[in-house]
Formats: sequence, structure tokens, C-alpha cells
Amino acid sequence: MCARNSIYTTPKPCKHLADYKLRHGFNTYYSIRICLKTTPNGRTRVAKHTTKIPRCSFCDRYQGRLYFCLMCSSLWCPTHILLHTQSEKGHEVAIDMNRSELYCCLCCDQVYDPDFDKVVVCNQVKDLPGGSKSKTNGFEACGERSSKRKRLDSGIGLDLKKSKLLVSMRDRRAKSCYPLGLRGLNNLGSTCFMNSVLQALLHAPPLRNYFLNDRHNSIQCRKRSGEKLCLLCDIDAISSAMFSGDRTPYTPAHFLYSWWQHSSNLASYEEQDAHEFFISVLDGIHEMESKIRNSGKDDGDCQCIAHRAFSGLLRSDVTCISCGFTSTTYDPCVDISLNMDTSNLSSSNANKPIKPDEKTGASTLSGCLNLFTRAERLGSDQKLHCQNCQELRDSSKQLSIRRLPLVLCLHIKRVEHSLVRKISRKINQYMQFPFSLDMTPYLSSSIVRSKFGNRIFTFEYDNSNSSAAYEIFAVIAHSGMLESGHYVTYLRLKNQWYKCDDAWISEVDEGIVRASQCYMLFYVQKLLYNEAIEDSSFVHISPRRDPFDSTAGCS
Amino acid sequence: MKHSVNRPPTPDAAEDQGKEPPLQEIINVKLIESGEKERLMELLRERLIDCGWKDEMKALCRAHVKKKGRNNVTVDDLVHLITPKGRASVPDSVKAELLQRIRTFLMSAAL
Repeated sequence: MCARNSIYTTPKPCKHLADYKLRHGFNTYYSIRICLKTTPNGRTRVAKHTTKIPRCSFCDRYQGRLYFCLMCSSLWCPTHILLHTQSEKGHEVAIDMNRSELYCCLCCDQVYDPDFDKVVVCNQVKDLPGGSKSKTNGFEACGERSSKRKRLDSGIGLDLKKSKLLVSMRDRRAKSCYPLGLRGLNNLGSTCFMNSVLQALLHAPPLRNYFLNDRHNSIQCRKRSGEKLCLLCDIDAISSAMFSGDRTPYTPAHFLYSWWQHSSNLASYEEQDAHEFFISVLDGIHEMESKIRNSGKDDGDCQCIAHRAFSGLLRSDVTCISCGFTSTTYDPCVDISLNMDTSNLSSSNANKPIKPDEKTGASTLSGCLNLFTRAERLGSDQKLHCQNCQELRDSSKQLSIRRLPLVLCLHIKRVEHSLVRKISRKINQYMQFPFSLDMTPYLSSSIVRSKFGNRIFTFEYDNSNSSAAYEIFAVIAHSGMLESGHYVTYLRLKNQWYKCDDAWISEVDEGIVRASQCYMLFYVQKLLYNEAIEDSSFVHISPRRDPFDSTAGCS
Repeated sequence: MKHSVNRPPTPDAAEDQGKEPPLQEIINVKLIESGEKERLMELLRERLIDCGWKDEMKALCRAHVKKKGRNNVTVDDLVHLITPKGRASVPDSVKAELLQRIRTFLMSAAL
């Protein structure tokens, strides 16, 4: 049994349930199994009477909650179940028929028993098509333990120690009071999309350490590949320039040229999309590294710095609505593109007479993530072939995150396409986002678990070893319209936010960052973030404040 | 003593139980037997999630539990708390859709 995630602490059984179990053990649980019926979407209910309609033994009610006494199989509505418990000794525990949850009649409350949930879950797995034969019914339980431990430490840990030395040596040359590594980038003609992404990438702890540790040696690289252009060498050059201590804005011309060679379709002086640029840079890094290592590894196992930092694994479950058969696929990803949760806001308010206490007007990151991991029913024009039914069926699809990356890049899709008018529009809606993010609810383990009704059951891959806690370190914000807008990056270094607007760097209050119109959010695993803070903790403000270099670099 | 010939006969106790079950019940039986009720429940669940109703109810419950304390709240408390609010806040579009489905079903079941 792996250690429990704190969210899922097992509630203690009430006195009555404990007594009941002492007396009867699992007998009644097992005999209930015959009556448990699983619907295609995973819900389990008690269906003893297939012909009769279940009714309360006292008042004949058939609507609402009905409880099934575990001892004598009689049915009761919530109002009258107490009568039963009072008249029959020992009949304290019942089961909610529609939800398959235990109910203690004396406490008048739902109670939980891991053993009961185990019985229910095993039954669900057995009932759903493909359950007992193949383990790919979207749910692997009671068996396989193929957990791939992610190695957070090895490469990265050692790097940090080395980079500490490098940073301390360079500190002496730093003239201004800003932390090391902050330096403006000149705009070379609508290249704010490039500057903003570069700022975020260069300050991502794994990449920052990679370059500071000279993991990509330009001299060796040139020897190996001749005079060919190498994106990594160029990024290395920028990184060295950023951390040199020089505060005058740097011009990444060579990098721009290399990138144009790589992504010739995007080579122009037009404004480009920052996210598209981000993807193409990662792609360029990957290509370069795989040429060097001559390895054709796929994205999931690739050891290039781009994938080591950003690569995660998404899980997609497609379930047949008719029979419940689920097919699961895994796809690697370097970022997650989220649709904005705006649909809730306009339509629902019109019909509801009451307004809840909390404000529901704003779009939030958790709302977007919920939307991303929500089970979505595919339209009838998108029927898929079900292996079990052997024909085209309506299905529902659900995404979840199987493995989280070290650096999580969240891309907020702010473009709305109108099919009617054939135009695209930018969504300027404000979206609220946290500085500390817990990704646990969006993990495959949580999503698959909730599909079966939040059972107290250890699923195969509860990753309690890897952390799902993230801290934000960069925000790329966009202002303006779709064709003509401006990108800026906000960086968080040692808990102070800085605005990187092309060549201009300034200290800003966190309120400004929170209020900005976020387009791309960069989070790093909390462990790495804390290490990074410690690491640069001795890069302190010099006691004698040097007068500002009044150049365009610092304002 | 003269019997009043106009007095209506005392109703038999047995006759009461021969009453026809109410229409609602007949419909419900038909829905359950055909499996349509199951499908309608699924549809309803989906629609209530889509429009944010479920999240709203969840938030109400959370607020209540926070106020009362985790160990002082029972399922019954929560049900009594949110049932009236829940019923009142179901969007009209959802109600209309389900009614339409039921109507279609009844017509096909030729009641």
C-alpha cells in the first residue's frame, strides 16, 4: 500500500458500523454484490427487484432516497428507516440504493468503509466491459503496480550545487540591485512574442541550471556539427548574456536568425503568436539534441532538455455511452492548452433566480482546468467504433494528466472562432489564477477515482511520490487585439515580481500581475522552486546601493 | 326505527383499495420498466453539470460544513439544506428539455 495523499484521509467508522463489522464481517458485503448493478458510466446501484419498483416498506414512497437494510433487505425511505432500526435490533446499517453508499440509521449519516468500497469497485471493474479480461478498461485495479518513478534528483540536483558556485562568482560584477539574470531584450521589429517567451524559458529552473552549468558547450557543438546553426548554442549565448551582470538591453539577433532558419514558415516581421513560438523553440531544441545523440526516441522518454523540463503525459479515456467500454490512450505533451470557462457565466445567470454568495462572474484557472478534465459527450456526428458493441456508438471523452512535467506550461486559448461569420476574435475576459497551484484534482488517479464515485480505494498509480504542488514563476500577458497586440512577461524571482517589457525591466507589485490578462502561465514543481530560492538567496542586494544605470535596461 | 332510504350505503373497506393508481405513478412505472428513466437521469446529471448547478450546490454544502464544523454535519442536514434551493435554481432550459423528452416518450409508449 502506498502512503496516502492527505486529501483522501479515510474517515473513521462510527461506533455502530464498527460494531456491525465485528459481528458480521464482510458477509453482508459479499452477498450484496449480487444485487449491485453497474451502469455504463460507472455508477453503481442496488437493483434487487428487477420487476417491482422499489418502495418504502412503510409509506410506499418510490421517489427520492431509498435505503436497503443490509440485514433483512427491506427498503425504507429516510423518514421511516429509524422505525425499522428501533424495532429490529442489529439492523443499523443500510445502503443507499442509488448511490451504493453505506448509511448508519442511528447516526442518520453516511458512513465509509474501505472494505465495502473495495467490494463495490471490484464489482464495477468486473461489470464494465473488458474489465476482467483486459486491464485496459480505463481503470487498472487490484493488480498491476507498474509505477515508473520519475527521477527528480540526479541531473538537476547536482546542477544546482554547481550553479551556486557560478552565480556567486558572477555576483561581484552585478552593478544594480536587481537579481542576477534579469536583463532586457531589444525588440527587433514586432518580436515581443519572442522576447517574452525567452524571458520565461531562461528563468525556468531546469533550463536556467542547464545553461549555467554549461551543459551545452558551444565549442564542442560547433566541432560536431560544423557550421550548422544550433538553436541551443544561441540560447546558451543569450543565457550567458543575461547572467553576465551587464544590464544594458541585449539584442538576440543571432537567435532570431537561427530560429527563422528552423521555422521558415514563421519567418517574417509580422507579429507571431507566443505560444506557437514556444512550441517551435522546444521543437528546435529537441531536433538539435536528437541529432547530437543520434537517438530517435519519442517524446515520452526523450532526454533532451526541452522534454526533460516540459514533457508530461496526458491520458484520454473514451467511453461508449451504451455499454460502458472504455479505451484509454496516452499522449505526451509539452504544455496544456486550456479553453476559457466562459460558457457558465452568460447562460446560467439568466435563468437562476438566486445568486450564491461567492462571486461567480470571473473566469478562473481552476474553472478552465475543470473544463479540461470534464467528461465531454461527443456529438452524434462524431460516433466512434466501440470494440465491445462492434458498431459506431455515441461516446464520451475525458482527459486527465497521467504524469506531470517539472515545468508546467498552461496556455490559455483566447481566440474565439465564429463559424457563422467566419472571423476570429480575441477573448479579453479576465481570468483569475493562483500563485500556488495544486494539480492533484486533475491527475488521472483523481479523475479515474471520481468516475467510480469517490471510493476509499487505492488505485494502481496513486502517485504519492511525485509532487503535484506547483509555484508560478512566469506569466506572459497579452494586451491588445488579435493582429496587433503586445506581449510582456512577469517574472517571479525570490518572491519579487518583475515586469519584462522588451528592453524595459521594472519591479512590480504582485497586484499588477494578478490583474494582468494572462496568456501563458509557467509553473514549476514546488521542490524545484524552493531550491531555486535557496540557491539565489545569497545573491543579495549589495549594502551600498549603486546609483541606477539610467539606460533603457532598468527603469 | 325507520331506516332512511335515502341514506347512501356505507362504503365497503375493500372498495377503497380498488382505486386506480395515480397517473404519475403509472408514468413512472412505464419509465422505469423501459429503462428510459435511467437515461433521463443521466441526461439530467449532464445538463446540471454543464450549467454549473452542481458546482453551486457543492459550494453551498461546503460553506455550510465550514460554518458548522466537519463533524457536526450529516448527509440529512445537507439534503434538507440544499433541496429547496436546488429545486428552485434548475434552469428553465433544462426543465423544458426533460419535459420534451418525457412527452416524446409517452407518445411513443401510447399511453
